[in-house]
Amino acid sequence: MSTKPRISSAVPDQPAQFATVMMHTPASTGRFFELYAEFWQRGVVADELKEMTRMRNARITDCGY
Amino acid sequence: MSWIDATQAPTALEAALAHRPELLARYRAFYGSFWADGLVPRRVLELCRLRVAAIHDCESEWLLRDAEVNLDADEQERLRAGEVEGFTGPERAALALAEQIPYGHHQVTDAQVEVATAAFGEPACVSLLTALAFFDVTCRLRLVLDLPAEPGVLDAPPLSNGALA
Repeated sequence: MSTKPRISSAVPDQPAQFATVMMHTPASTGRFFELYAEFWQRGVVADELKEMTRMRNARITDCGY
Repeated sequence: MSWIDATQAPTALEAALAHRPELLARYRAFYGSFWADGLVPRRVLELCRLRVAAIHDCESEWLLRDAEVNLDADEQERLRAGEVEGFTGPERAALALAEQIPYGHHQVTDAQVEVATAAFGEPACVSLLTALAFFDVTCRLRLVLDLPAEPGVLDAPPLSNGALA
């Protein structure tokens, strides 16, 4: 795993982070956030259960972000 | 037989997601954007989608084909086996990343991303990596739902009508 960003920020004067790198594809990213928001804002599964599974998934995939 | 009862929809995946119509609509809109934005060549998306399906042994994804990409039998056989000789340099760069996404994402190297970025440019590389992650998600979803494997030729795989306006 790299210790430095592999793709530059698409936002001038902003560091390369998930959101600024994803802004290389603003249309697709906007639709991703709309989909992701559907899980969290209007889903039928309890927030606590979703948060628990999200964190467990992050651990299993060793994603420290 | 799938774990989830089907509703009326053109494909098995959409039939399962249609239990949550708004989720299906947003899934379609996001997934279709990889084909709609034109950043990654459609043939490259098809090669990578099928390679990820082959790695997962996901027959319901493997049997779908993009209506605008005609892979010959030899190409399909090599994709299934993970043999990249004969594909172009940019295609091999994309397939190298596709190879790692399902089970080797921590082994993706700086060099692999650099090669892909040089081949496609940064915006397209972001689009490609996002598409690869979602190809992986879609296969996992298909397998967990135990969706039937049915051949299909679709406008924006794996959905019947691609992005919504």
